[in-house]
Amino acid sequence: MSLLREAWARLRSFFRKGELDADFSEELASHIELAAEDNLRQGMTPAEARRQALIQLGGIEPAKEAHREWRGLPWLDGIVQDLRHAFRSMGRTPGFTLTIIAVLSLGIGANTAIFSLLNTLMLRPLPVRDPGELVEFLSVYPGDPRLNSFNWKYFERFRDQNHVFSGMTGVSPNNFQVSLDGGETEELLGGYVPGNFFSMVGVKPGLGRLIEPQDDRLGSPNAAVAVVSWSFWNSRFHLDPSILGKQIVVNREPVTIIGVTPREFIGLQVGTPRFLWIPAAMTPSQRATGELSLQLIARLKPGVSIEQAQAEMRLLDRERIEDIARNSPTKDPVLRQMRLDVEPASAGFSQLRERFGKPLLALMALVALLLLLMCVNVSSLLLAKAVAREREMAVRVSLGASRFRLLRQVLTESLALSALACAAGLGLAYVGAAFLVHIVVSGRRPPGVPPIEINLQLDGRVLLFSLAVALTAGLLFGLIPAFRAMRSAPMNSLRAAGKSSETRFARLFGRGLVATQVGLSVVLLSAAGLFAAHLSNLRNVGIGFASENLLLVSLDPSINGQGESLPLRCEQLLTSLQAIPGVHSASLVGATPISGAAASLFITAEGFEEPQQDRRYTAMNGVGPRYFETLGTPLLAGREFGVQDWQGRKVAIVNETLAEHYFAGRDPLGRHVTFDRSGETYEIVGVVGDAKYYELRDPPPRTIYLSAVRDGRVRARNIVVRTNVSPASLESQVRRTIDEVLADFPVVKVTTMTAQIDEAIVPERLVALLSGLFGVLGALLAAIGLYGLLAYLVARRVNEIGIRMALGAAPRKMAGMVFRDALATVSVGLALGTGAALGAKRLAAAVFSDLPIDQGMPLVLGAAAMMIVGLLASYMPCRRAARTNPVEALRHD
Amino acid sequence: VESLQESARVSDPKLDLLQGTLDLMVLRTLESMGAMHGYGIARRIEQLSNDQVLLNQGTIYPSLVRLQNRGWISAAWGVSDNNRKAKFYSITKAGKRQIKEELANWERLSAVMGRVLAAGEGGA
Repeated sequence: MSLLREAWARLRSFFRKGELDADFSEELASHIELAAEDNLRQGMTPAEARRQALIQLGGIEPAKEAHREWRGLPWLDGIVQDLRHAFRSMGRTPGFTLTIIAVLSLGIGANTAIFSLLNTLMLRPLPVRDPGELVEFLSVYPGDPRLNSFNWKYFERFRDQNHVFSGMTGVSPNNFQVSLDGGETEELLGGYVPGNFFSMVGVKPGLGRLIEPQDDRLGSPNAAVAVVSWSFWNSRFHLDPSILGKQIVVNREPVTIIGVTPREFIGLQVGTPRFLWIPAAMTPSQRATGELSLQLIARLKPGVSIEQAQAEMRLLDRERIEDIARNSPTKDPVLRQMRLDVEPASAGFSQLRERFGKPLLALMALVALLLLLMCVNVSSLLLAKAVAREREMAVRVSLGASRFRLLRQVLTESLALSALACAAGLGLAYVGAAFLVHIVVSGRRPPGVPPIEINLQLDGRVLLFSLAVALTAGLLFGLIPAFRAMRSAPMNSLRAAGKSSETRFARLFGRGLVATQVGLSVVLLSAAGLFAAHLSNLRNVGIGFASENLLLVSLDPSINGQGESLPLRCEQLLTSLQAIPGVHSASLVGATPISGAAASLFITAEGFEEPQQDRRYTAMNGVGPRYFETLGTPLLAGREFGVQDWQGRKVAIVNETLAEHYFAGRDPLGRHVTFDRSGETYEIVGVVGDAKYYELRDPPPRTIYLSAVRDGRVRARNIVVRTNVSPASLESQVRRTIDEVLADFPVVKVTTMTAQIDEAIVPERLVALLSGLFGVLGALLAAIGLYGLLAYLVARRVNEIGIRMALGAAPRKMAGMVFRDALATVSVGLALGTGAALGAKRLAAAVFSDLPIDQGMPLVLGAAAMMIVGLLASYMPCRRAARTNPVEALRHD
Repeated sequence: VESLQESARVSDPKLDLLQGTLDLMVLRTLESMGAMHGYGIARRIEQLSNDQVLLNQGTIYPSLVRLQNRGWISAAWGVSDNNRKAKFYSITKAGKRQIKEELANWERLSAVMGRVLAAGEGGA
């Protein structure tokens, strides 16, 4: 109790310094008078009485000092004093200070920006009860992305038969058609949920009540209820509590709003906020047949590990896989190789984690390296400044400052620098993170999938992270100068008459710092090169078509299957498009490559036997005349489709891989393939080169092409236009032409093939772009570090250089001396960096399976780039050495 | 420089007192004598200890601040017997309670010290 009281009293005293100091001065004055009076009474002279009183007291200043120590918060006083000193010293060299803060704030800002994205996508727990217990299920079809999608009947089986979960529920995502008060219908994201959804997930109502099990009964009138999100309540009802009991129309059914979720709950998928939840019983037919598709989430029983849960779930899941495989209309044998993964879901469903998790971790590692480089850079700058301040330190040591006090002061300066940089860095992070989000949400999305919406919050976790980063950085770059200050030897420094001596160790150490920067830059640059090569490979290598100068136009899907005059108008359209100046050719296609859409089926080839379990899907696409010419896919044998194929003989074109698989060594032309489901047989009239179709990261699939128009029906809503000029410049003309010929099928989207490809490889672009940025920044800093070191060396040795030149040394030789220094430092850095980069590459390969790590090119390029940067940085100091004027140099001291 | 400071410390002839001991003396003095100013307390302790305790009179003030911060004594400006303005300290209720506790502690400690030191002598 008294301790607390004392702390409080000290804290109050800390803020009443002036007042208390005056009070104590007065008290001491009275003390001395009282003592002097006593002394007078003992017969001393007035002067002697006063002198003795002062001696008895032990001096006024020591008394004040001791008093202060027990009165306020002396350590805080010390820190305030140190801070004041630090800011004064920063103010004396504003350019230097700003440089350091700029460098550090870039580093801290970049780290914080990436971490805040990582935090939002992967770490931030759902605002629900014990989110750490939540897991989700992912169904894996070999080669496809993992998918959390299970039919209601399997959900019931899982829920009722497992022993590892304390609860299980799900949500069936839906785009609801919603209208309020008979107003216009709008599309809102929401979901059908089982009655236990909110209680299992652990959400408490923000207003009213949430959906409960008794609401979710098939055929019950009670099921016609809805729970809405806080943002819906806010935007549509302005937080009016009378929303409870209001009727809205959802998918043509009137439902009553019974509650609002808390503000922070926006569903279970980061990036896809949902506004509306309706009991699953409102989908009576799908519920009854068990076909309603759900994303499942479950809560682990206490003490059950994810591995145990997965083992049990895989057993339970066998029945589902068997069901699916047995009932598959295509008899796909791969279905039996499906498996189920149980994954933690404390941060919600994993969709974005699956795509961006590894790239973000890689970026986090790179940006940490960058910050390390920056710390080394700043450390070497501070060290140079410390040399300049050696005399100050020496004087302070001589005057009795403790070495610990000096250490503390230098560290305070470093931490003050990093605190300022942290504040600036948070600002940068805010901008940077918005930019990252802009890239992340730019990806392609299949029709019906809502756009990603990411709300980055600078939450406590992010703030804590950036503080920790700043603190670590401050200690890291501050420790070396601090120890140097602590070890400063007053005698030597003072004796050096204004010029501080430099030990061999210190010289080597300075070079070591620069070499480290060079090494780290090599790692960053080669990582950037690696990711850039990966991106370039994805964009260009083996994609099977020429992506430049291709305009892609999507028409309203209603064009599919329309009959009558449509084929003729399509033919007219293609002719008109090809008449536009700058257009090389145009064609129709069912699904453009890398659009996220594709079709596939099982085929049987004439004269080819294969066991059922070896059968695999064949990709299928419908294409128009001159399609392959337009795409730039080589025709290897036979011919393209022409208008004559729109009726009559059924013909097909296959790609090389398909021909190789089914007709190895034989001529595929004239042979026949039969489609399993329809039983139709097609004659192969052409063979074309392999081209990527659905997924850029996978090798081209076996592909069969059919005519996009057949027997009066069109099966293609996309038009591809090969241009001789920039495709965007022809957009308006192409639109106009389409409007003239096919006015009844509006254009819904125009893009270019390069843009479409870029949308499909957002994570790779993100990594390549940022790692490139980090690499350049790192190289720049290392160059500045090297330049600084060399300039400093030349300045220190100006005397020596002057003497040597006076004795007849050639200027070139002097420049060479500096250059050798530069070369040695850079070479050590390159050696360090190459070793580290090789290690990092192995690490990266373990994380990203498809990186082109066997290429030595990025590393060589990185090292070469650093060499050039090093040479450039040493140019000025070399020149200065060569141009040293001996007379001036000797007068210099 | 450093060795000079060291020797200054070593040559200190006064008893090196634990902070708590001086605090206890101050409390006890105020309890028995009533309100006193800093000089008075210092003189009193000097006289009673034959100048063995205080390094100098100034060292009384940290103790007074400490006790005040803990709420065991209170201070107020007043006028001394010979009409001088001075700050007077007096013990509070909490301070009186504290004395009992400290005394008990002190007795325990000195008993233990006595035993340990006596045993050390006997064993040697």
